[in-house]
Amino acid sequence: MKWTSGDVATYEKERDYIDTALVPLLPVAVGQGARRLASGGELVGLVATEVERQLRGRVFLLPPFVYFVDEQRDELLERLANWTNRLRQEGMEHVFYVTCDRTWQEGTEASRFWLVPTVPLESMDESYKHELVREQAAELLRFFVNRWTKR
Amino acid sequence: MSDNKHRVTRRQFLNYTLTGVGGFMAAGMLMPMLRFAFDPILRETAGTDMVAVADVKEITTEPKRFDFKVKVKDAWYESEEPRSAWVYKDEKGDIIALSPVCKHLGCTVDWNTDKNNPNHFFCPCHYGLYTKDGTNVPGTPPTAPLDRYEFEVKDGKLYLGKAKPRGEA
Repeated sequence: MKWTSGDVATYEKERDYIDTALVPLLPVAVGQGARRLASGGELVGLVATEVERQLRGRVFLLPPFVYFVDEQRDELLERLANWTNRLRQEGMEHVFYVTCDRTWQEGTEASRFWLVPTVPLESMDESYKHELVREQAAELLRFFVNRWTKR
Repeated sequence: MSDNKHRVTRRQFLNYTLTGVGGFMAAGMLMPMLRFAFDPILRETAGTDMVAVADVKEITTEPKRFDFKVKVKDAWYESEEPRSAWVYKDEKGDIIALSPVCKHLGCTVDWNTDKNNPNHFFCPCHYGLYTKDGTNVPGTPPTAPLDRYEFEVKDGKLYLGKAKPRGEA
Protein backbone atom coordinates (compact mmCIF):
# COMPACT_ATOMS: atom_id res chain seq x y z
CA MET A 1 0.00 0.00 0.00
CA LYS A 2 1.14 3.48 -0.73
CA TRP A 3 0.01 6.75 0.71
CA THR A 4 -2.52 7.41 -2.05
CA SER A 5 -6.28 7.74 -1.92
CA GLY A 6 -6.84 4.49 -3.81
CA ASP A 7 -4.51 2.41 -1.69
CA VAL A 8 -5.76 3.86 1.55
CA ALA A 9 -9.30 2.93 0.54
CA THR A 10 -8.11 -0.67 0.12
CA TYR A 11 -6.33 -0.44 3.43
CA GLU A 12 -9.50 0.58 5.21
CA LYS A 13 -11.26 -2.48 3.82
CA GLU A 14 -8.45 -4.97 4.45
CA ARG A 15 -6.96 -3.69 7.70
CA ASP A 16 -6.58 -7.16 9.14
CA TYR A 17 -4.19 -8.21 6.45
CA ILE A 18 -1.93 -5.18 6.50
CA ASP A 19 0.11 -5.34 9.66
CA THR A 20 3.45 -3.90 8.61
CA ALA A 21 4.40 -0.26 8.30
CA LEU A 22 7.48 0.86 6.43
CA VAL A 23 8.69 4.39 7.10
CA PRO A 24 11.55 5.94 5.15
CA LEU A 25 13.73 8.13 7.36
CA LEU A 26 15.12 10.99 5.32
CA PRO A 27 17.85 13.27 6.62
CA VAL A 28 17.96 16.63 4.86
CA ALA A 29 20.60 19.34 4.57
CA VAL A 30 20.91 22.21 2.17
CA GLY A 31 24.50 23.12 2.79
CA GLN A 32 27.33 20.74 3.40
CA GLY A 33 26.74 17.11 2.57
CA ALA A 34 23.53 17.83 0.72
CA ARG A 35 24.51 15.86 -2.33
CA ARG A 36 25.36 12.73 -0.39
CA LEU A 37 22.09 12.93 1.54
CA ALA A 38 20.07 13.48 -1.62
CA SER A 39 21.70 10.50 -3.24
CA GLY A 40 20.99 8.40 -0.16
CA GLY A 41 17.42 9.64 -0.02
CA GLU A 42 16.92 8.80 -3.68
CA LEU A 43 18.10 5.26 -3.16
CA VAL A 44 15.90 4.89 -0.07
CA GLY A 45 12.94 5.98 -2.16
CA LEU A 46 13.71 3.59 -4.99
CA VAL A 47 14.23 0.61 -2.72
CA ALA A 48 11.14 1.35 -0.64
CA THR A 49 8.97 1.67 -3.75
CA GLU A 50 10.23 -1.57 -5.18
CA VAL A 51 9.62 -3.48 -1.95
CA GLU A 52 6.18 -1.97 -1.70
CA ARG A 53 5.43 -3.19 -5.20
CA GLN A 54 6.32 -6.73 -4.28
CA LEU A 55 4.72 -6.85 -0.85
CA ARG A 56 1.92 -4.36 -1.28
CA GLY A 57 -0.68 -6.66 0.24
CA ARG A 58 0.91 -6.57 3.65
CA VAL A 59 3.24 -3.59 3.81
CA PHE A 60 2.06 -0.02 4.09
CA LEU A 61 4.71 2.38 2.83
CA LEU A 62 4.10 5.62 4.71
CA PRO A 63 5.26 9.07 3.71
CA PRO A 64 8.81 9.70 4.88
CA PHE A 65 9.87 10.91 8.28
CA VAL A 66 11.95 13.95 7.39
CA TYR A 67 14.44 15.78 9.59
CA PHE A 68 17.43 18.03 9.36
CA VAL A 69 20.59 16.11 9.69
CA ASP A 70 21.83 18.23 12.60
CA GLU A 71 18.62 18.12 14.64
CA GLN A 72 18.85 17.14 18.29
CA ARG A 73 19.16 13.36 18.44
CA ASP A 74 17.14 12.78 21.60
CA GLU A 75 14.28 14.90 20.30
CA LEU A 76 14.34 12.97 17.06
CA LEU A 77 14.33 9.66 18.85
CA GLU A 78 11.38 10.79 20.88
CA ARG A 79 9.47 11.92 17.81
CA LEU A 80 10.12 8.65 16.05
CA ALA A 81 9.15 6.63 19.12
CA ASN A 82 5.92 8.58 19.09
CA TRP A 83 5.27 7.65 15.45
CA THR A 84 6.02 4.03 16.18
CA ASN A 85 3.66 3.91 19.14
CA ARG A 86 0.85 5.45 17.18
CA LEU A 87 1.31 3.02 14.33
CA ARG A 88 1.31 0.17 16.81
CA GLN A 89 -1.87 1.43 18.39
CA GLU A 90 -3.45 1.53 14.96
CA GLY A 91 -2.77 -2.16 14.53
CA MET A 92 0.61 -2.22 12.81
CA GLU A 93 2.23 -5.21 14.39
CA HIS A 94 5.52 -4.59 12.65
CA VAL A 95 7.05 -1.17 12.13
CA PHE A 96 10.23 -0.93 10.09
CA TYR A 97 12.35 1.92 8.84
CA VAL A 98 14.49 2.23 5.79
CA THR A 99 17.15 4.90 5.81
CA CYS A 100 20.55 6.02 4.58
CA ASP A 101 21.43 7.57 7.94
CA ARG A 102 23.92 5.37 9.75
CA THR A 103 23.35 6.95 13.14
CA TRP A 104 20.01 5.21 13.61
CA GLN A 105 21.80 1.94 13.92
CA GLU A 106 23.42 3.04 17.15
CA GLY A 107 20.12 2.93 19.00
CA THR A 108 18.61 0.11 20.97
CA GLU A 109 16.25 -1.15 18.32
CA ALA A 110 18.80 -1.23 15.52
CA SER A 111 17.27 -4.38 14.04
CA ARG A 112 14.20 -2.48 12.90
CA PHE A 113 16.26 -0.11 10.78
CA TRP A 114 17.24 -1.11 7.27
CA LEU A 115 20.28 0.73 6.03
CA VAL A 116 20.85 1.20 2.32
CA PRO A 117 24.48 1.46 1.19
CA THR A 118 26.03 4.86 0.52
CA VAL A 119 26.64 5.11 -3.20
CA PRO A 120 27.00 8.08 -5.51
CA LEU A 121 23.88 7.50 -7.61
CA GLU A 122 24.54 10.45 -9.89
CA SER A 123 27.66 8.89 -11.35
CA MET A 124 26.13 5.49 -11.74
CA ASP A 125 25.16 3.65 -14.87
CA GLU A 126 21.40 3.21 -15.32
CA SER A 127 21.60 -0.56 -15.64
CA TYR A 128 23.87 -0.86 -12.63
CA LYS A 129 21.49 1.31 -10.65
CA HIS A 130 18.62 -1.03 -11.48
CA GLU A 131 20.68 -4.00 -10.45
CA LEU A 132 21.51 -2.32 -7.13
CA VAL A 133 17.90 -1.40 -6.39
CA ARG A 134 16.69 -4.87 -7.26
CA GLU A 135 19.31 -6.47 -5.07
CA GLN A 136 18.58 -4.19 -2.13
CA ALA A 137 14.84 -4.72 -2.52
CA ALA A 138 15.29 -8.48 -2.60
CA GLU A 139 17.33 -8.36 0.60
CA LEU A 140 14.81 -6.15 2.33
CA LEU A 141 12.05 -8.50 1.20
CA ARG A 142 13.85 -11.45 2.74
CA PHE A 143 14.27 -9.43 5.92
CA PHE A 144 10.51 -8.81 6.06
CA VAL A 145 9.60 -12.43 5.38
CA ASN A 146 12.02 -13.53 8.11
CA ARG A 147 10.44 -11.19 10.61
CA TRP A 148 6.94 -12.32 9.73
CA THR A 149 7.66 -15.99 10.14
CA LYS A 150 9.59 -15.46 13.38
CA ARG A 151 6.84 -14.49 15.78
CA MET B 1 4.68 56.10 -69.35
CA SER B 2 5.55 53.63 -66.70
CA ASP B 3 3.04 55.48 -64.62
CA ASN B 4 0.27 54.38 -66.94
CA LYS B 5 1.43 50.77 -67.26
CA HIS B 6 1.48 50.00 -63.57
CA ARG B 7 -1.54 51.90 -62.62
CA VAL B 8 -3.56 50.05 -59.97
CA THR B 9 -7.06 51.27 -59.53
CA ARG B 10 -8.54 51.80 -56.13
CA ARG B 11 -10.99 48.99 -56.83
CA GLN B 12 -8.22 46.56 -57.77
CA PHE B 13 -6.17 47.49 -54.75
CA LEU B 14 -9.08 46.91 -52.40
CA ASN B 15 -9.88 43.62 -54.12
CA TYR B 16 -6.32 42.35 -53.73
CA THR B 17 -5.97 43.34 -50.12
CA LEU B 18 -9.37 42.03 -49.10
CA THR B 19 -8.89 38.65 -50.79
CA GLY B 20 -5.40 38.48 -49.28
CA VAL B 21 -6.47 39.26 -45.74
CA GLY B 22 -9.66 37.22 -46.08
CA GLY B 23 -7.66 34.30 -47.39
CA PHE B 24 -5.34 34.42 -44.38
CA MET B 25 -8.27 34.54 -42.00
CA ALA B 26 -10.02 31.63 -43.70
CA ALA B 27 -6.81 29.62 -43.66
CA GLY B 28 -6.32 30.44 -40.00
CA MET B 29 -9.74 29.01 -39.27
CA LEU B 30 -9.59 26.03 -41.60
CA MET B 31 -6.14 24.70 -40.75
CA PRO B 32 -6.93 23.65 -37.20
CA MET B 33 -10.19 22.13 -38.38
CA LEU B 34 -8.38 20.06 -40.99
CA ARG B 35 -5.79 19.09 -38.42
CA PHE B 36 -8.52 17.88 -36.09
CA ALA B 37 -10.22 16.02 -38.90
CA PHE B 38 -7.07 14.15 -39.86
CA ASP B 39 -5.72 13.74 -36.37
CA PRO B 40 -6.79 10.10 -35.89
CA ILE B 41 -4.89 9.15 -39.05
CA LEU B 42 -1.76 11.09 -38.19
CA ARG B 43 -1.54 9.78 -34.65
CA GLU B 44 1.17 7.22 -34.09
CA THR B 45 -0.20 3.74 -34.29
CA ALA B 46 -0.39 2.74 -30.64
CA GLY B 47 2.08 -0.14 -31.20
CA THR B 48 -0.42 -2.75 -29.97
CA ASP B 49 1.28 -2.42 -26.57
CA MET B 50 3.20 -5.67 -26.86
CA VAL B 51 6.62 -5.73 -25.24
CA ALA B 52 9.48 -8.07 -26.13
CA VAL B 53 10.31 -10.00 -23.00
CA ALA B 54 12.41 -13.05 -23.75
CA ASP B 55 13.82 -15.39 -26.34
CA VAL B 56 11.56 -18.36 -26.88
CA LYS B 57 14.46 -20.77 -26.48
CA GLU B 58 15.01 -19.56 -22.94
CA ILE B 59 11.60 -20.88 -21.96
CA THR B 60 11.57 -24.30 -20.33
CA THR B 61 8.97 -26.37 -18.54
CA GLU B 62 10.11 -24.82 -15.26
CA PRO B 63 8.55 -21.40 -14.60
CA LYS B 64 11.11 -18.66 -14.99
CA ARG B 65 10.76 -15.06 -14.03
CA PHE B 66 11.23 -12.40 -16.69
CA ASP B 67 11.29 -8.71 -15.89
CA PHE B 68 10.29 -6.06 -18.35
CA LYS B 69 9.02 -2.51 -18.48
CA VAL B 70 5.81 -0.96 -19.69
CA LYS B 71 4.95 2.68 -20.23
CA VAL B 72 2.26 3.80 -17.86
CA LYS B 73 0.37 7.06 -17.78
CA ASP B 74 -0.77 8.00 -14.33
CA ALA B 75 -2.74 11.23 -14.41
CA TRP B 76 -0.21 13.70 -15.87
CA TYR B 77 2.82 11.68 -15.01
CA GLU B 78 4.17 9.28 -17.59
CA SER B 79 6.59 6.69 -16.43
CA GLU B 80 8.03 3.28 -17.05
CA GLU B 81 6.84 0.71 -14.63
CA PRO B 82 8.57 -2.57 -13.95
CA ARG B 83 6.54 -5.72 -14.54
CA SER B 84 7.39 -9.37 -14.27
CA ALA B 85 5.98 -12.56 -15.67
CA TRP B 86 6.38 -16.22 -14.83
CA VAL B 87 6.80 -18.01 -18.13
CA TYR B 88 6.99 -21.74 -18.89
CA LYS B 89 5.88 -24.35 -21.39
CA ASP B 90 3.20 -26.82 -20.40
CA GLU B 91 3.18 -30.53 -21.34
CA LYS B 92 1.76 -29.77 -24.76
CA GLY B 93 4.55 -27.26 -25.38
CA ASP B 94 2.25 -24.27 -25.19
CA ILE B 95 3.66 -21.14 -23.62
CA ILE B 96 2.01 -19.95 -20.43
CA ALA B 97 2.80 -16.46 -19.12
CA LEU B 98 1.43 -15.78 -15.68
CA SER B 99 1.22 -12.45 -13.94
CA PRO B 100 3.00 -12.59 -10.57
CA VAL B 101 0.46 -10.33 -8.93
CA CYS B 102 -1.38 -12.17 -6.17
CA LYS B 103 -5.14 -11.97 -6.58
CA HIS B 104 -5.57 -11.39 -2.88
CA LEU B 105 -4.00 -7.99 -2.22
CA GLY B 106 -1.48 -7.62 -4.99
CA CYS B 107 1.82 -8.88 -3.62
CA THR B 108 4.31 -10.56 -5.94
CA VAL B 109 4.22 -14.34 -5.87
CA ASP B 110 7.31 -16.48 -6.16
CA TRP B 111 7.78 -19.95 -7.64
CA ASN B 112 8.72 -22.84 -5.42
CA THR B 113 9.82 -20.87 -2.37
CA ASP B 114 7.62 -22.50 0.25
CA LYS B 115 9.29 -25.66 1.51
CA ASN B 116 6.00 -27.19 2.61
CA ASN B 117 4.43 -26.77 -0.81
CA PRO B 118 6.99 -27.42 -3.53
CA ASN B 119 6.13 -26.60 -7.14
CA HIS B 120 3.54 -24.03 -6.25
CA PHE B 121 3.43 -20.28 -6.65
CA PHE B 122 3.68 -18.85 -3.18
CA CYS B 123 2.72 -15.43 -1.88
CA PRO B 124 4.91 -14.41 1.07
CA CYS B 125 2.42 -11.92 2.47
CA HIS B 126 -0.46 -14.11 3.55
CA TYR B 127 0.76 -17.50 2.37
CA GLY B 128 -1.47 -17.73 -0.67
CA LEU B 129 -0.80 -20.71 -2.92
CA TYR B 130 -1.36 -21.35 -6.60
CA THR B 131 -0.66 -24.47 -8.60
CA LYS B 132 1.70 -24.36 -11.57
CA ASP B 133 -1.05 -23.36 -13.99
CA GLY B 134 -2.00 -20.47 -11.71
CA THR B 135 -5.07 -21.97 -10.09
CA ASN B 136 -5.55 -20.77 -6.54
CA VAL B 137 -5.41 -23.45 -3.87
CA PRO B 138 -8.62 -23.43 -1.84
CA GLY B 139 -8.16 -22.62 1.83
CA THR B 140 -5.56 -19.93 1.14
CA PRO B 141 -6.52 -16.23 0.91
CA PRO B 142 -6.62 -15.75 -2.89
CA THR B 143 -10.03 -16.18 -4.46
CA ALA B 144 -9.12 -16.29 -8.13
CA PRO B 145 -6.44 -17.81 -10.36
CA LEU B 146 -3.44 -15.74 -11.39
CA ASP B 147 -3.93 -13.50 -14.42
CA ARG B 148 -2.44 -14.56 -17.72
CA TYR B 149 -0.60 -12.31 -20.11
CA GLU B 150 -1.67 -12.09 -23.70
CA PHE B 151 1.32 -13.17 -25.70
CA GLU B 152 2.66 -13.39 -29.20
CA VAL B 153 5.72 -15.10 -30.65
CA LYS B 154 7.52 -13.26 -33.40
CA ASP B 155 10.98 -14.05 -34.81
CA GLY B 156 11.82 -16.29 -31.88
CA LYS B 157 10.94 -13.62 -29.34
CA LEU B 158 8.15 -13.67 -26.83
CA TYR B 159 6.03 -10.53 -26.69
CA LEU B 160 3.70 -9.94 -23.78
CA GLY B 161 0.64 -7.72 -23.71
CA LYS B 162 -1.89 -7.10 -21.00
CA ALA B 163 -2.50 -9.43 -18.09
CA LYS B 164 -6.07 -10.64 -18.12
CA PRO B 165 -8.08 -12.79 -15.73
CA ARG B 166 -8.11 -16.39 -16.83
CA GLY B 167 -10.86 -17.25 -19.24
CA GLU B 168 -10.46 -13.97 -21.06
CA ALA B 169 -6.87 -14.27 -22.25
